[in-house]
Amino acid sequence: MTTNKILIVLCFFVSLQLQAQKYYTRSGSTQFEGSEKAFEPIAATNTSTTVILDTRNGNIVSQVFMAGFQFKNALMQEHFNENYMDSYQYPKATFKGNLDDFSMANLNTNNTFDLKGVLAIKGLEKNIQTSVTVKQKDNRMFVSGVFFVSPEDFDISIPSIVRDKIAKQIQINIDYELIEKK
Amino acid sequence: MSLLKKNKLVFIVVALLAIGVGYGYQYIFMSPKKVVEITPEFTTDANEFNNLIDENLPSWIGKVVQITGKATQVTQDGILLNGSIYCQFENSQDIQSITKNQNIVIKGKLVGFDELLMETKLNQCIIIQ
Repeated sequence: MTTNKILIVLCFFVSLQLQAQKYYTRSGSTQFEGSEKAFEPIAATNTSTTVILDTRNGNIVSQVFMAGFQFKNALMQEHFNENYMDSYQYPKATFKGNLDDFSMANLNTNNTFDLKGVLAIKGLEKNIQTSVTVKQKDNRMFVSGVFFVSPEDFDISIPSIVRDKIAKQIQINIDYELIEKK
Repeated sequence: MSLLKKNKLVFIVVALLAIGVGYGYQYIFMSPKKVVEITPEFTTDANEFNNLIDENLPSWIGKVVQITGKATQVTQDGILLNGSIYCQFENSQDIQSITKNQNIVIKGKLVGFDELLMETKLNQCIIIQ
């Protein structure tokens, strides 16, 4: 009887180990909006974000290419890449962080996690703390959330002529659908 | 200057101004060019392209290129060419016509080198052949 129990427990742990440990996407959506009201929208979407989530410990890494941000306006996109972000010198932004107390097993009861980590843009690092929603459905993980950054933190200087049009805090929306990494 | 001549001059100036404002407006508010409309800066095969990227990645960022290669992996949003170039498609319906290990020519915009997955990434891809 006891050996059976031990076997069952063993099987349980082995099956846990066999489960996918990493989920990823290459086409996550990262969007930012930095417009002040009453001016034309300053916003862009990047649907080529790479994200990897390790479901054993909640570690999350992501990478987004500046050249992948699509604006509605060509001139705005050009200024973003050439004047504000120096996309040729600093082609990407990276994020490394951890979902606090993340557990695959408890996803049915708890979907909200604190996300802490370091965001690096233009070679400068900044600590980010926010809360994100993680949901699991059909063997996919859905991660979404919102946080704010300020251009000053990353040494992005904004000419005085447009200063009033750009928000002090840029809102960043993330929406990622991750699949199992085999 | 007679009244008629003066009127004509005013008319021409106003017309020129209107055209200028029209062009200016279009210039300021035009939307970014789609990959379809851009002539590729370079046409090559996947292996040669990898070498070029290794040599000088920054000069390729944001450029539109046309690449021939083998679709080694087909996913929901894109394909992997020769195991190292990920092409994300403009229309995901295009992917349905691609089968694994098929030789294919695509055109797309290079956005960068993905160090997490060790792949070069193109987006807004379209099938050429």
